[in-house]
Amino acid sequence: MTILRKCPILVLAVKRVVRPAIVLAGFMIAVLVLGTVTSSAAERTSNLWWMPEVATKSGKQIDQLIHFIYYLTGIVFVLTQVVYVYFLIKYRSRRGVRATYSHGNNRLELIWTVIPAAIFIGLWGYSNHLWWNVIHAEPPADSLEVAVTAYQFGFSFQYGGADGKLGRSNVNLIGNNNLFGNDPNDPLTRDNFQSGILELPVDRPVRLRLNSKDVIHAFYVPQFRVYQDIIPGRTIDWVWFIPTQIGSYQLACNQLCGSGHYNMKAQIEVVSKQEFDKWYKEKSAPSNKALAAR
Amino acid sequence: MHAPAATAVRDINQPTPNVVRFGMLTFLASEAMLFAGLICGYMVLRAGAGSGWQMPEALKNPETMIKTVIATLLLISSSFTLHYSENGLIKRGKGGKLLLLSTIVLGLLFLGNQATEWLHLKNDGFWFDSAGIMGSCFFVLTGFHGLHVAIGILLLATSLTKALAGQVTPAKHAFLECTSLYWHFVDVVWVFLFAILYIL
Amino acid sequence: MAQTLIHAAPAEVHSAHAHHPELSFFRKYIWSEDHKTIGLQYLFTSLFFLLVGGLLAMGVRYQLAFPNVPVPIIGGLLPRWLVQESGAIAPAGYNALFTMHATVMVFLVIMPLLIGVFGNFLIPLQIGAPDMAFPFFNALSYWLFLLSGLVILSSFFTGSSPAASGWTSYAPLSSHGAYSGAQLGQSLWCVGLFVNGLASIAGAMNYITTIINMRAPGMRMFRLPLPIWALFVTAFLLLLAVPVLSAAAAMLFFDLNFGTSFFSASSYGQPLLWQHLFWFFGHPEVYIMILPAMGLASEILAVFSRKPIFGYKAMVFALIAIGVLGFIVWGHHMFVSGMNLLLSATFSFSTMIIAVPSAIKTFNWMGTIWGGSIRFTTPMCFALAFVSMFVIGGLSGIYMASTPVDLFIHHTYFIVAHIHYVLFGGSLFAVFGAIYFWYPKMFGRMMNETWGKIHFGLSFLFFNLTFFPMHNLGLNGMMRRIADPTQYDHLRSQQPINVFITLSAFGLGLSTIPFLINFFYSMFKGQKAGMNPWESTTLEWTVPSPPGHGNFDVTPTVYNGPYEYSVPGMEQDYLPQNQPAPETARIAAH
Repeated sequence: MTILRKCPILVLAVKRVVRPAIVLAGFMIAVLVLGTVTSSAAERTSNLWWMPEVATKSGKQIDQLIHFIYYLTGIVFVLTQVVYVYFLIKYRSRRGVRATYSHGNNRLELIWTVIPAAIFIGLWGYSNHLWWNVIHAEPPADSLEVAVTAYQFGFSFQYGGADGKLGRSNVNLIGNNNLFGNDPNDPLTRDNFQSGILELPVDRPVRLRLNSKDVIHAFYVPQFRVYQDIIPGRTIDWVWFIPTQIGSYQLACNQLCGSGHYNMKAQIEVVSKQEFDKWYKEKSAPSNKALAAR
Repeated sequence: MHAPAATAVRDINQPTPNVVRFGMLTFLASEAMLFAGLICGYMVLRAGAGSGWQMPEALKNPETMIKTVIATLLLISSSFTLHYSENGLIKRGKGGKLLLLSTIVLGLLFLGNQATEWLHLKNDGFWFDSAGIMGSCFFVLTGFHGLHVAIGILLLATSLTKALAGQVTPAKHAFLECTSLYWHFVDVVWVFLFAILYIL
Repeated sequence: MAQTLIHAAPAEVHSAHAHHPELSFFRKYIWSEDHKTIGLQYLFTSLFFLLVGGLLAMGVRYQLAFPNVPVPIIGGLLPRWLVQESGAIAPAGYNALFTMHATVMVFLVIMPLLIGVFGNFLIPLQIGAPDMAFPFFNALSYWLFLLSGLVILSSFFTGSSPAASGWTSYAPLSSHGAYSGAQLGQSLWCVGLFVNGLASIAGAMNYITTIINMRAPGMRMFRLPLPIWALFVTAFLLLLAVPVLSAAAAMLFFDLNFGTSFFSASSYGQPLLWQHLFWFFGHPEVYIMILPAMGLASEILAVFSRKPIFGYKAMVFALIAIGVLGFIVWGHHMFVSGMNLLLSATFSFSTMIIAVPSAIKTFNWMGTIWGGSIRFTTPMCFALAFVSMFVIGGLSGIYMASTPVDLFIHHTYFIVAHIHYVLFGGSLFAVFGAIYFWYPKMFGRMMNETWGKIHFGLSFLFFNLTFFPMHNLGLNGMMRRIADPTQYDHLRSQQPINVFITLSAFGLGLSTIPFLINFFYSMFKGQKAGMNPWESTTLEWTVPSPPGHGNFDVTPTVYNGPYEYSVPGMEQDYLPQNQPAPETARIAAH
């Protein structure tokens, strides 16, 4: 407090700014607490202020990277701000004390050029490693292939049917009659079946084939740490992941796509292998029958 | 206002010619980026379209080609007439008006050929909204360029009236100089456009 | 008029006259070609747009906290495109709200405040020139800017929706009226941006020409004050980036209205082409909106620390480096877009590299206040806050530069927090500081310090209360641009944070009121300012406040660098640029 008393501007600042600010902040926090108590918010077990629990294998590694950056930036943030505030207090204007005359220091410039550059390049190496070796590595051969078509305003999914293979598709064939652009000449497409929800087996790689019927949409599942824009006129087939947690999730469109964008979502169910096989059999039965009848 | 000659007072609202030329060059850098944006877009679209890129018959036939080549030569020669006109008006302080006029005429001929070609293409069913991506690119690129030629002709006409009124002299020629820079720029852009739209 | 000297050397060119004929009202206030008046025209206009953009933001925040709750009192008066039958904001109306908020703030507030106001006002004054190189184009630039603003705002009154596909207007949502439901609004958006681009280019051409050609004798490039350097680099960015946006906007306009197919995939157009063109402009644009702020803050920090800028040349080189690198990082906006994966890796690298000069600048600002004799005036408070907020915005940017992390947070509130830390906590705080700082030069009177401090305290507090929690929302996976977060299971538990942010945002909106009152009150009743109220060194403080037409009675000669404060061996603690150093002074080279 002695510092405060010595410096009239700080005293003024405390009186005129800090005190009302504390009152207002208190008010705000009261509102926040009140809001939290009164809102009919759904229960969530994980930390309200941090990421939702991760539910894919690659997501875990992304989280590690996020934590790494978090600590890195956190340390830099605390260090710079502490030094900054310390300078502000120490070097406040005082009668009879003149500022140090200095135009800078080339050695310091060199240090604070080289060190950040080294850190940034290192971070790029880490990120790039993850980008190529985890997120965009070649998906395993036993991946479950699912075609996803986004449209204003919803998602449809297609599975490979009894043979488990989607077959060829062509983005130019996508239309109301052929939502997934299946190539009619490819016999593999004939037993494919559609679904309104994305049912996935746990611990098995899933490879997506993303198409859009009209505008740009996105495939976003925060718990999976997966995001990909879905562009009309281009099939994106490099997104894959391995779900690791059984549960229900929501797929959200996260690229503005029009008036219904706010509500464009689909249900994702990650289930056990047995449950998935049962579901898959039931779903593929009608298309198998149709094939047999033909 | 009387300024003693020694202090060389100048109207602050009248920049000197070399400053004007500098300003014009910065403006042309900006113009170059406009066309660079359009041309890069063209290249990306063309590369991406693959079989969807269809050069219409009307553009490929020899008659159109010959006409366009002639128009291109006319436009290039107009840069030369303008250059010599500048030599006359600015360096020697006499002549050059006729050359300036012929520059305008050459520009008009070019523009006239563009207009007839557009009409011809339209009649052949090749129009910006009916010929897929090639049509969009062709008409927007030639349209933007044509607009620039038209503005250039207006600038040239203004220069000519100034020259006729005796306002373009070895001592005062910023307007003509800028017009000329602009005109040469428009010419160079056309050479690029001609190459990518008609030849490649 | 006086005789015109052809090919005059700069020294002679600058001799201004003390006696100008009286200008008519029209020439003095409407079509004025005086750079100072044009700067003020920009100031008043963009402050008006700031209020418009701020109100739109309040609408956005209202909807996020209270989705489907009818807007109290005014709900019934709101236009049909905005609200539903009940008076609650419609999802499509919400899309238009945030689209217009961002468009107005970027093109009609931050850019003109930084570049229009301070570029115009400061460049001739700080380099010792009587005016801009092309006063006519300068005036034209302002009126084109105003026109663009009116065109963009007019889309509120067409009866149909204004542009509603985000300020980035991703095609094909934006390029087909049927997709976005805003054919006319989007067309007006294109026209507005095209005209705005013309204004920017006219300004940029002027700035570059003026700074290169019209410096006072002795004003070497390395004696230019940092705002001028920043504006100089910015002008190049404008000159080379804006025309690409103009080209893209023209193509979008043709797609919307004339049936061309540049961006529609169904006829071999390419939606991604829009993103490449837009972000080729858009990333330099980000630096267009922060570099001048850096320059303004640097100036204020040096003045009130009573110290030369630490590492002046490093600061200049950092500005140039950011300007050059700014052209090759645009792809980092598109890591999630579906473009080539190798391109993403490349752009990630260039993005990491461009962070280095920003770090250099931050350290140099800290070096500047080190050992200073800091005067906590209102402009200084804002400049200090600028540095602090810029550090937060810069650090949060590192998350996005890392491609895998970007996947998770790119389209969440994390990025909303990031841009607001840079654009509001950064650019706008610097602008506020600069307004308080140059106000005496603009109007000849001081702004009230106490009210200035109140303005600062409130906006600093509410700014952080508003935008910091957005980082948490983003990490929680709250998507941006959704009208109703309660639609999603994982966001329902976050709703109290949204309510908190909204209330803070209202506080932030209200904190502008002390500023506005202070701004207009001081214009008439403020304490009279002398020539140099802040004891500053640069040339604008050597002429009366406000300076007369033509700025300098005698062309100044420059003897010193821009920030010679506390020079040893001098009684006075500042050495104006136009005064030869006394023999006792021990000036160090920088």
